[in-house]
Amino acid sequence: MVIGSKTMAFVEEEALLGQDSEEENSELSDDELQEAFAAGLLKPGMNVLVDKPKKLVNNVEGLKQCLADFRKDLPWVERLDLTNLPAANIISQAEEKASAPAAGELDADDDFQREMFFYRQAQATILEAMPLLNRHSIATKRPEDYFAEMAKSDQHMQKIRKKLISKQMIMERSEKAKKLREQRKFGKKVQIEVIQKRQQEKKAMMSAVKKYQKGMTDKLEFLEGDQKMNKESSQGSKKAVNKKGPSAKRKYKDQKFGFGGKKSGKKWNTKESYNDVSGFRAKIAHGKGGKKGKGGKQNKRPGKSVRKKMKNRS
Amino acid sequence: PTGKWTNKERVLIFSSRGINFRTRHLMQDLRTMMPHAKADTKMDRKDKLFVINEVCEIKNCNKCLYFEAKKKQDLYMWISNSPHGPSAKFLVQNIHTLAELKLTGNCLKGSRPLLSFDPKFDKEPHYALLKELFIQTFSTPRYHPKSQPFVDHVFTFTIADNRIWFRNYQIIEEDGSLVEIGPRFVLNLMKIFQGSFGGPTLYENPDFRSPNMHRREMRLAAAAKVREKQMVKEMQKGKKTSAKEDLESDVTADVFLTPAEEKPADIQTEAPEPKVVKKKQKAFKRQRMQMLSLHRNQYST
Repeated sequence: MVIGSKTMAFVEEEALLGQDSEEENSELSDDELQEAFAAGLLKPGMNVLVDKPKKLVNNVEGLKQCLADFRKDLPWVERLDLTNLPAANIISQAEEKASAPAAGELDADDDFQREMFFYRQAQATILEAMPLLNRHSIATKRPEDYFAEMAKSDQHMQKIRKKLISKQMIMERSEKAKKLREQRKFGKKVQIEVIQKRQQEKKAMMSAVKKYQKGMTDKLEFLEGDQKMNKESSQGSKKAVNKKGPSAKRKYKDQKFGFGGKKSGKKWNTKESYNDVSGFRAKIAHGKGGKKGKGGKQNKRPGKSVRKKMKNRS
Repeated sequence: PTGKWTNKERVLIFSSRGINFRTRHLMQDLRTMMPHAKADTKMDRKDKLFVINEVCEIKNCNKCLYFEAKKKQDLYMWISNSPHGPSAKFLVQNIHTLAELKLTGNCLKGSRPLLSFDPKFDKEPHYALLKELFIQTFSTPRYHPKSQPFVDHVFTFTIADNRIWFRNYQIIEEDGSLVEIGPRFVLNLMKIFQGSFGGPTLYENPDFRSPNMHRREMRLAAAAKVREKQMVKEMQKGKKTSAKEDLESDVTADVFLTPAEEKPADIQTEAPEPKVVKKKQKAFKRQRMQMLSLHRNQYST
């Protein structure tokens, strides 16, 4: 405990600051205070106890001495230590941002910046160390046939790989879902636009026709104009569509079920069709087939008049 | 390429009782990373710390990493050069072990590490001493029987926010592409002693706040918040219930008031007559239309 003597004005400030050391006055007896006063240590006025400021040890000399004693002078090859600032930040250079704060202002709370700082520090070390290691002929690359125990087991590395792959899959799936949703919205938009365009065209056509009928215009160009435009546009669009042609699904179905394509011209009486006797069944032609042995249609549908009668009856 | 193993460094890595799984894994990871490390059984916390020096001597180790767990929450790490010192005590935070799936790198077991230090280590005497201590402890001696001759990973020690951050990266390409292997932790320096686990204090960290104090401060802050809220509530209540002050009456307020004229009060003793409602005769629609057309014909002709 240290007794600090102060004048009256100061004392009030101290009291306001709430020094609770005044209670410790009771530990000092009156006799001791009187003696101290007589000895000239205390001055008149209010005396307030003040805590000694906490002294933190920073024995610089001691530290240096200790370091000197403790230091081992080993060749660099034994220690492999390097001290360096982080390597240049390529990303920030490329973006020409205001350069990242110097080491002194590294913000420990900005996780990404902090980790990038550590990463770059390690990078700089490696870049500096490679030539040194080569000089001392210490290898850094493991040869392909060198099998040795790794710090993490193979099983563990597989787990890590699986986790990474699953993360990628999840991301891809979510991307796909997003795209589909966007496509659907877009498709709907396009559909609405097409319908509206058609309606507008129809309206224009009808109004043009009406005008002609009422005798306001005697030009029939609107007909041709429309046709021309339609032909071009349809051809144009058909050209674009026909590039892809029928889809693979369509082609497969055509191939399998076979009736797609041009119908007109299929049933002509050509030389080939006349000579084609593949549809000839001898038994049926000579009347010996007999409707699949008379097990074919047992429920033959009655005719129209019969059906009417049945209906009227019930 | 074999050579003589001359740099006889051995590190004893062990802990006190009461550690949790994360600390145990961290210790195991450090032993994996450092082939010149030895393990020992858990020490009872009742024994004084200088007993550790004897343990080191028995095991023929000249460095020691001792993990002390308190309250099952706080982890302290002692790093020391036994038997003559110096030693340092740290609070360990943010531990991530080798087993975490986000740390995807791998390295040979027992390969020698490169050590990378922040230039700030050279600026202060206490950091310079710590740097020397780290170098001697963490670097694997050359030609150690359990070591691999390749250098394929790098330890980084960086100073940020008055703490020392430790990271371990795998070197993939010689141009500097890295992947983190782990483990990773943060060291908060408390004190540096001249001797091993004792002796005069050489340095005390002014920015260090013990975890207990930290927790206490959080609790006090929360309590202060609650108390403030309560006070505000009470003040509001008081305002509502306290009598409102009467406004001073303004003498000139009534100057321009003119009272309204009195109307004679008209009291009706008899009820008013009921109104006669005439019902409109509307013809049916057809008839109406016929009338309309009749009208039109009349006017058109």
